[in-house]
Amino acid sequence: MHNKTLDFSKLLLTGNEAIALGGAKAGVYTAVGYPGTPSSEILPYLSKLNSGAIVNWSINEKTALEIAAGTSIGRKRAMFTTKHVGLNVASDPLMTLALTGVRGGLVVVTADDPGMHSSQNEQDNRLYSKFAKIPMFEPSDSQECLDFTSKAFDVSEEFDTPVILRTVTRISHSRSIAVFSGKFPFDGERKNTENTYKKDIEKFVMVPVYARKRHKIALERLKRLIDFSNGSGLNTVEYNDKEFGIITSGISYQYAKEIAPFASFLKLSFSYPLPDLLIKDFVKNVKNIVIIEELEPFIQNETAALGIELKGKEYFPRDGELNPDIVLSGLKKAGFFKDKKTADKEKNAGKNVRISLPNPLPPRFPALCSGCPHTSVFYALKKLKVPVMGDIGCYTLGALPPLNAMDSCISMGLAFGAAQGLSVTKSSHKKTVGIMGDSTFFHSGITSLIDAKYNNAKFTAIILDNSTTAMTGGQDHPGTGKNLSFNQSVSCKIDIKKIIEGIGIDEIYAVDPYDYNETLKTLKKALDSNNLNVVITNRPCVLYPKKIDTGKKFKISDGCTGCDLCMQTGCPSIRLPHGKTGAAKPVPFIDSSCIGCSICRDICIFNFIKEI
Amino acid sequence: MDNSTKNILICGIGGQGVVLAGRIISFAAFESGMDIKTSEVHGMSQRGGSVSTHIRFGKKIFSPLIPEKSATAILSFDIYETLRYTGSFANKDTIIVSSNDGKTPAWTSKTKNDTIGNNFTDTYSAASLLKDNFKSLILLNDKLIAENIGNIKVSNIILIGALSVFTDIEENIWLKTIEKNVPEKTVDLNIKAFLKGRASL
Repeated sequence: MHNKTLDFSKLLLTGNEAIALGGAKAGVYTAVGYPGTPSSEILPYLSKLNSGAIVNWSINEKTALEIAAGTSIGRKRAMFTTKHVGLNVASDPLMTLALTGVRGGLVVVTADDPGMHSSQNEQDNRLYSKFAKIPMFEPSDSQECLDFTSKAFDVSEEFDTPVILRTVTRISHSRSIAVFSGKFPFDGERKNTENTYKKDIEKFVMVPVYARKRHKIALERLKRLIDFSNGSGLNTVEYNDKEFGIITSGISYQYAKEIAPFASFLKLSFSYPLPDLLIKDFVKNVKNIVIIEELEPFIQNETAALGIELKGKEYFPRDGELNPDIVLSGLKKAGFFKDKKTADKEKNAGKNVRISLPNPLPPRFPALCSGCPHTSVFYALKKLKVPVMGDIGCYTLGALPPLNAMDSCISMGLAFGAAQGLSVTKSSHKKTVGIMGDSTFFHSGITSLIDAKYNNAKFTAIILDNSTTAMTGGQDHPGTGKNLSFNQSVSCKIDIKKIIEGIGIDEIYAVDPYDYNETLKTLKKALDSNNLNVVITNRPCVLYPKKIDTGKKFKISDGCTGCDLCMQTGCPSIRLPHGKTGAAKPVPFIDSSCIGCSICRDICIFNFIKEI
Repeated sequence: MDNSTKNILICGIGGQGVVLAGRIISFAAFESGMDIKTSEVHGMSQRGGSVSTHIRFGKKIFSPLIPEKSATAILSFDIYETLRYTGSFANKDTIIVSSNDGKTPAWTSKTKNDTIGNNFTDTYSAASLLKDNFKSLILLNDKLIAENIGNIKVSNIILIGALSVFTDIEENIWLKTIEKNVPEKTVDLNIKAFLKGRASL
């Protein structure tokens, strides 16, 4: 696939892969972002396409968008990718880039996570397009991801504005067929060293006198964008039964087509600003209309603002993701199925299976991996009973049973700030802990640690350095010294300890978390000291960049009474035998998935866990 | 090949290879020339959580998610997950291809009074519940077959092999797809596992 001229005909792509391909097709010059589910696969795939683009992970979303902005100022096309909450981080540059406009096309890809498969909230980022007064595309399958990404660059340049491409988990992580033909256009362009840089302070220096002018321009632009929304052909009307009509966008369109193919449709692909004339026309021609959209009543409110009151959220939930069954039940409430048979559902009536279980099924909380280096730290923190301000990463799982050793998970990089704020309240007699991973530390922990030193805070900061961004699939960051770019990669490794020394924090402990006793001792020491101090753990992730198996094997020897100390690690390799064993307490065993981290051996104070 | 939509739900525990299995099955269906959509979940639940991939193929597919009670087949790598997902997606005609083994990490085995005991449905009862309710049920001792082949990690490919018998997709398409989607060093092993699973019925 590492060819510059590609004549892909028909591909089975995830939405994320299709977005990458759309970017390459548009000749994107710089593509940057910070990993976040469900957006993480766009940049690695783009990098592999080797289209000539510079593709890099940035330290955080704000920096990424700023890099993209610079490329755009330099008259080249730029793409920034993020998950929904990451756009909050980048919202500062976004809101003002909406005023300055662009030179090279600037596309912001936001992948939202309705249903929160792997997120801390389910905000609807369509609202950012209205908030910033910038246009938005909403693809509903991989073909549209490809086409719209490419089209978004043209719209960005034509209307002098950043453009949002908004997907959701079921678009980004769904595969469907996409047809691609052509070349990646700008191969020769990179060699162009001609001086084309032009200063334009009235456009890019947003001091009040210029910003006021640009705001008027942005408002005028919005009017032209409404015309585009009506006339570009991106928003489409399908007339079928004119009794029933559905206005929808993105993934909701697919669910609605599945469930009510008989209805007439107004499909919004360019969903901000709304095509007012198309909507008015649709309303005139179709009798009963409902709006189907995930999360916020965005289309519904915008339509209401046009003076057209249509129902939507009266039938469909405002939280969680939709699916064909929720859409069916909403449409039933809306009277769409009064005299109709519903597709598969009724066909399968009478085929229902009802199984009543004698006992419950095992719950499956996500858990830290077998041999995860975070395990011993949380086990120790639980024992020490300290207040722990947590953060966002795999280690958030330390908050769940049985470890139960993290007391907050709110936003990325919150831990050290929150630890400072909590520690001054003296609401706990114990010293406060703030805990985050290495990638999170780079993302937004550095600033709060500087603040802590500056304001003379007293808490213990723990950095779980596993040398990767693990939860999102093992992406690189400044601490790994590697980056994505397929052929232009020249990256430097940034030393976390040196950063902390540079801040002026002297008490820094490094510890190997596979040595549980040493980890506990080090944490105790750090907590006993009344200073701001930092504990850094130094074992790599067991999954990324490569799967680790120490080669050691452990077993629980005869004599074990089933006291459950080792089970409290939550290690997935420690299991109980099935069925009743006759013993008062069943004795656990270690299965073949053990990678030999040895943490449980240290934890068993009776020495029943032995290496074999 | 008939044009009716086929819905395959793959389920298991994060880390068992549900995503890889989804890739293999969906690319095999794609190579056979059908319209296809899939949906998978990444991120947090991949760490030991209950995970599923939806695959739908046929003449024209809209929703990437399988509607309730509409699975043509369920492929499962853990018998408890089989029971969990049959609840929402199976009907009497659903073909079930499942591992006969189920995993319970020790700590989840605690009861409400905090005493340890294995109070879950055991795998034996799980198997008999499935047998009572589904006429097309394949329960495989995939772990044992995998051990005999020489690598426990190919148990998911064995189950794909068993499922393949119920599809119209030709054997050579399956083999080519596996070859493209597993690490080069493990191609022979995976093909052996697939064929073993395919022959196990």
